[in-house]
Amino acid sequence: MKEFKHFNAYSIEEAVSLLGRYGERACIIAGGTDLLGKMKDAILPAYPEALVNIKTIPGLSYIKEDGGMLKIGALTVLSEIAHSEVVRSHWPALAQAACRTASPHIRDMGTIAGNLCQDIRCWYYRNQNNRFSCLRKKGGRCYAIKGDNRYHSIFGGSVSGGCLAVHPSDTAPALIALDAKIKTSGRTLDARDFFEVKPVKTTVLKADEIVTEIQVPEPAAGTTSAFLKFALRKSIDFPIVNCAAMITLKGDRVAAARICLNAVSVVPYRAAAAEQVVMGKSLDEAVAEEAGKAAVSEAKPLEHNKYMVAIARTLVKRSILACVGR
Amino acid sequence: MNKDIKNYACPYCGEKCRSADELKEHVFQAHKGRGLPAPEGSIKLTVNKAEYVIRVAPNWTLYYLIHDKLGLTGTKQFCDQGACGSCTMIVDGKPVLSCMLLAIECGGKVIETVEGIAADGHPLIEAYVNNHAMQCGYCTPGFVVTSKALLDRHPDPTEEEIVEALAGNLCRCSTYPQHPIAVREAAGKMKAAKK
Amino acid sequence: MSTHPENQTARALELLDNLKADMSPLKEYKHIGVKGPRRIDGLAKASGQADYTMDVQVPGMLYMRFLMSPYPHAKILKMDTGKAARLAGVRNVLRFDDPEVGKEEIIGKVAGFFGSDRPLSGVAHMEGELVGAAVTADSEAIAEEALALIEIDWEERPFMLDPVAASDPAAPLTFPERYIDGNHWNRGAYDELAHGDVKKGFAAADKVIEFKFSRTANTWVGPERPCGVWKWNGDCPEIWLKHQRVHLPKSRISQWFGGIPMNKIQIHSLYQGASFGGWCQVDWNLGPLWCAALVSKRTGRPVKYIFNRREDFFGGSMDEGVYFVKVGFNKDGSITAVEATLYQVNAIWPVFNPVLHLHDNTTIPHLKGQCKSIWVNKGHTVPTRCEMLPPVLTQTMIFDRVAAELGMDPIELALKNDGAMGHDMAWVNEEKKQRGFQVRDSLKECVEKGKAEFKWDESWHKPGARKLPNGRLHGVGFTWAHEWDDSCGSGEFAIRIERTDGTASLLATGADNGVDAENTYCQIAADEIGLRLEDVHYNPQQYVGFYRMTPDSSTNMSVNGWAVRHAARILKEKILESATGPTALTQRGGYQPAFPDTSPQDLDIQDSHIFLKSDPERRMSLADFVRMAGESGCFSTDEFLGVRTAWSEPLFASSYHVQYGAYNPVNPRPRFCRQAHFMEVEVDTETGEIFVTRIVNVNDVGKAINRMSCEGQQYGGSIMGVSRAKFEEVVHDPVTGVMLNGNLIDYKIATMQDLGPVSTILVETGMGYGPYGLIGVGEDIGTVVPGLMAPAVFNAIGVRIDDFPITPDKILKALGKI
Ligand SMILES: Cc1cc2nc3c(=O)[nH]c(=O)nc-3n(C[C@@H](O)[C@@H](O)[C@H](O)COP(=O)(O)OP(=O)(O)OC[C@H]3O[C@@H](n4cnc5c(N)ncnc54)[C@H](O)[C@@H]3O)c2cc1C
Ligand code: SF4
Ligand code: FES
Ligand code: FES
Repeated sequence: MKEFKHFNAYSIEEAVSLLGRYGERACIIAGGTDLLGKMKDAILPAYPEALVNIKTIPGLSYIKEDGGMLKIGALTVLSEIAHSEVVRSHWPALAQAACRTASPHIRDMGTIAGNLCQDIRCWYYRNQNNRFSCLRKKGGRCYAIKGDNRYHSIFGGSVSGGCLAVHPSDTAPALIALDAKIKTSGRTLDARDFFEVKPVKTTVLKADEIVTEIQVPEPAAGTTSAFLKFALRKSIDFPIVNCAAMITLKGDRVAAARICLNAVSVVPYRAAAAEQVVMGKSLDEAVAEEAGKAAVSEAKPLEHNKYMVAIARTLVKRSILACVGR
Repeated sequence: MNKDIKNYACPYCGEKCRSADELKEHVFQAHKGRGLPAPEGSIKLTVNKAEYVIRVAPNWTLYYLIHDKLGLTGTKQFCDQGACGSCTMIVDGKPVLSCMLLAIECGGKVIETVEGIAADGHPLIEAYVNNHAMQCGYCTPGFVVTSKALLDRHPDPTEEEIVEALAGNLCRCSTYPQHPIAVREAAGKMKAAKK
Repeated sequence: MSTHPENQTARALELLDNLKADMSPLKEYKHIGVKGPRRIDGLAKASGQADYTMDVQVPGMLYMRFLMSPYPHAKILKMDTGKAARLAGVRNVLRFDDPEVGKEEIIGKVAGFFGSDRPLSGVAHMEGELVGAAVTADSEAIAEEALALIEIDWEERPFMLDPVAASDPAAPLTFPERYIDGNHWNRGAYDELAHGDVKKGFAAADKVIEFKFSRTANTWVGPERPCGVWKWNGDCPEIWLKHQRVHLPKSRISQWFGGIPMNKIQIHSLYQGASFGGWCQVDWNLGPLWCAALVSKRTGRPVKYIFNRREDFFGGSMDEGVYFVKVGFNKDGSITAVEATLYQVNAIWPVFNPVLHLHDNTTIPHLKGQCKSIWVNKGHTVPTRCEMLPPVLTQTMIFDRVAAELGMDPIELALKNDGAMGHDMAWVNEEKKQRGFQVRDSLKECVEKGKAEFKWDESWHKPGARKLPNGRLHGVGFTWAHEWDDSCGSGEFAIRIERTDGTASLLATGADNGVDAENTYCQIAADEIGLRLEDVHYNPQQYVGFYRMTPDSSTNMSVNGWAVRHAARILKEKILESATGPTALTQRGGYQPAFPDTSPQDLDIQDSHIFLKSDPERRMSLADFVRMAGESGCFSTDEFLGVRTAWSEPLFASSYHVQYGAYNPVNPRPRFCRQAHFMEVEVDTETGEIFVTRIVNVNDVGKAINRMSCEGQQYGGSIMGVSRAKFEEVVHDPVTGVMLNGNLIDYKIATMQDLGPVSTILVETGMGYGPYGLIGVGEDIGTVVPGLMAPAVFNAIGVRIDDFPITPDKILKALGKI
């Protein structure tokens, strides 16, 4: 890695002020598991001039229930979320997502905020030494569209319609399905509004904005949730498709449903059509199957990723069924 | 003296100030409540029970510091991308990937490497040898360190728990089946020794 | 007393006869074949004290990094290295147009590989090739930063990635520099193997089928990256090199800089972070070392280079390519003819013909195989785990198809066609007798053991016919092959009884890549001489003088095992002669032999003690025996004090073994040992995921010397095999030719959670040509098992997938789901 300046921030204000001074030229470093990989491979046209370490800010790592609401500090590492009894019993989709992320070591290092703010994994974008100066780097074109796009979006692109890189996070769909909010140093956002596709950017955060807390509302009575992930290997791998579902039953009918896929589109993909299918119904194999089909009805797969459509359909079906214990 | 020349640099963040008073004001505003800054780039850490005070560059990883600078070459680097576990060290009780951690962020940390585990005569070492839980041996220290961290947390892990804990360690020689056997053997020895 | 002349003759014959059974195995084994033994490298490796080349630091050492070509085929028109050279901390920038670089026509004996004509080329023939410039600096980070400052004008040229397309004579040239002789197309080396008359064979067949299959690139992924350090001690180079066959680079290096005498070259061969043949097979890997040597000369400092992870991904296994197969067979299962053509990607040694194994281990009378190496703009392919991948893959694909066509149990089909060189088992059994082996039916023994362990009869079913309660399709696969250890080479070993304590040192080239071969040599030496195992130690030689037959384990035991055994037997004779030999007379007095008035035949050695056979109470430990020679190497203070004790001469013996490659069609030896493998899978038809639920490996290793090491090769090979079949694939962008997944996140090797249990069974028929009837096992399983996934998946889903790796998209496509 090239030289850079390194600052330990001891308060959110200090971090914000440091970031404010460097603007785009500085990066926040939390667990570093995503950021350092990018820096080692020098994938971006610009190299950060400074890193602002936020791990030194006290009091940002916690899991607590506050009036029924789950609050998770930005620096909480994934393994703590995965193993937390509170999370596992009330928000199982989130615990399962954290539990299936990456590898045990990365779960001990990677933070929840870092997981949400991580960069895309498109293998053109990530190629060493900025080999492909693509749309997502303010360059001229997308290389995936005619190239090997087996892991790219099945729901079309963005950045002026071009970029096809999927959002790789495992926890993002769980948080969206659970209707979470993301609190930053300046505002509180709905998880579903948090992601954005811009050059060298995956979120709506400003350069000097820091995620401080994740807030997940108390599930309504009769609510269950589940998360499923499909990857080639059982460990280490990023998702090829993942899916989180939260279902509220009244009697045996679905009163509310939130289903979110990820790794299939440029931002987490809310499967609204699938939600509609299940609403008001009693859940069985056939309904879930139909919901799966509906979820991918808008899919526009590319040359090499048609299989992802089938997998997405299956995961939607299975995560719905998992919510009702099947 | 030219009033516009900013000669006073903040020891915490490098912000340049025109005068000592301005600097004082800045430090008070921006870094309220901080202790005295350490000399630039210098950290204090404990490695295998020994204390080190050492100047590190910001772009050094913990792996580089320990392997190249402190000369504890037992820790191995396989992927350099956080994807294989071979560079695992125990930092404040947790198994972490030293290739993905900046040395400069390890001030005050207590670090354990495979050398420390071996020097303590941990039963894992003997169990690894007995069970051929290695071939070329390049990934082996990463497995040993990860297993040690597991045994610290769960002195009597099930096979399933062992596999789960070691699922982030890659072995190209594919020695996988031997590791749960070795870890169980070490756990058994530790249990017997306690009695 | 001197050695009996007839012993010497017998020994000389044994040294060179690779065509017969072991005529004088031991009567009983004490250390050979026991469970264990404790690994001699174990403690060093488990405790992090084992040093690898990556770990080496030498005072004053500089770091070298190379420029990688961003294009798959391009020439440097102009290169400005000024900015790089001016960066603080940069000590040298070596350019491709440096007069000394240009002068070095070849860095290895074997020219003509990609990039090997020159250590640093100005033309790249694959993306990622190390071309143009090497920067040497105070740290790797500075060298990296400097590389980014180099400005280059490239002339991009057309490139090809697909071997079949590139084999069209009208295709653009992928390596025009090579075709100065006017041979204007992309075909590289060619190999043909013909046996009988395939036309006749097809005409005689009840049925003829044709099919095609392919394998994309997969590679070795050595955990320790390629690296080396060069230091000049005057005109003698001292080198640390990651290389599993250090004797090869040493002889190449001796040609550099106008010639360096072999005896002035010292190569430290430390522990090897595995490379499975792979990277160590080719000469281009020496380019970086040559550059380090030159820059070390210019800067007066030691220079180290380390490839980054991505750089290690260039090149791969030589099964990469497209296979066209035609098979004729009869209703009873006898296969009458096979014709196969392989368009092999960038194979350096395209002699491992797709029908080679069918020649070696079947009755099939008519065979024709062609191996066409086609040059495309990717890395070269080399033996990775083993060069036998193409023939083994072809055999598996053929047998499974024919079995399915006939609705026959594939095991029956295997037994039906088992043979050698077109002959049936009667002929093979006669050969066994002629060559002094006991006659056993290896394949039958293997499949019987395997079937029982696997519960094959309950598990096997018609393709696509079993759905499990969990909704997945169940499938099982079987494949078989012979065991092989046929490469050519020689092994040189010496054994020395140390003075003072009488322990034994085994001396030969160091190259430990983890197969625990060193331990195995010790077991043989211990049993042959009569030592306790703990009294024998392998001391790898840094001066690469003693060759070990490809110390990388290819044909390891069948050559090195003999060499150790010869040396041990010679040494034992020497010890006993010395124990009974003449008294020594010195200025101060005389020395008696330890066992006066006896002859060597009266003595034996056991548990590191020499004893009189007729009176075992009369014994002396080897330690006491050699102690008389004194720690200074001659006589002890006993002499000074006038005490008369026994005496021994320095005890040292060396020997060797050679094996001419058994691929040699002249005077070949039929293969008698077999292996059989069984795999069970479950396939999720909605996601295309394959779950490998269990594997059974049965290997007839002839004689297992080091059981745990053999088992390690079985489960290790199985896991690597599944990984190759299921995940592994180097992906190149079709449009730009750039490698997309040169890292361990995107190139996936199996984790601990990716397959079910592997059961390992060793069969010992004693029908190998190695000592004690052993045959090698290290290369086989990792080579056979990848192909086995195809039969297992076919049995599950009832549809063929003819393209490796077998990934979810291919399953879903085969099932008509996408
Ligand atoms: C081998 C490997 C496998 C992986 N597999 C998976 C996987 O399966 N699923 C998955 O989801 N992820 C995976 N990851 C990504 C992994 O990096 C994240 O899961 C991890 O949680 C990131 O957290 P971090 O704290 O390390 O992030 P960092 O690397 O520290 O930061 C990531 C990004 O977020 C920004 N950031 C961090 N914290 C904040 C904050 N509080 N406010 C604003 N911005 C912030 C940083 O500036 C940076 O740009 C994998 C990574 C590796 C190396
Ligand atoms: S998918 Fe996006 S990131 Fe990938 S090459 Fe295209 S524009 Fe770049
Ligand atoms: S080297 Fe650090 S995780 Fe692979
Ligand atoms: S023992 Fe060789 S990589 Fe694990």
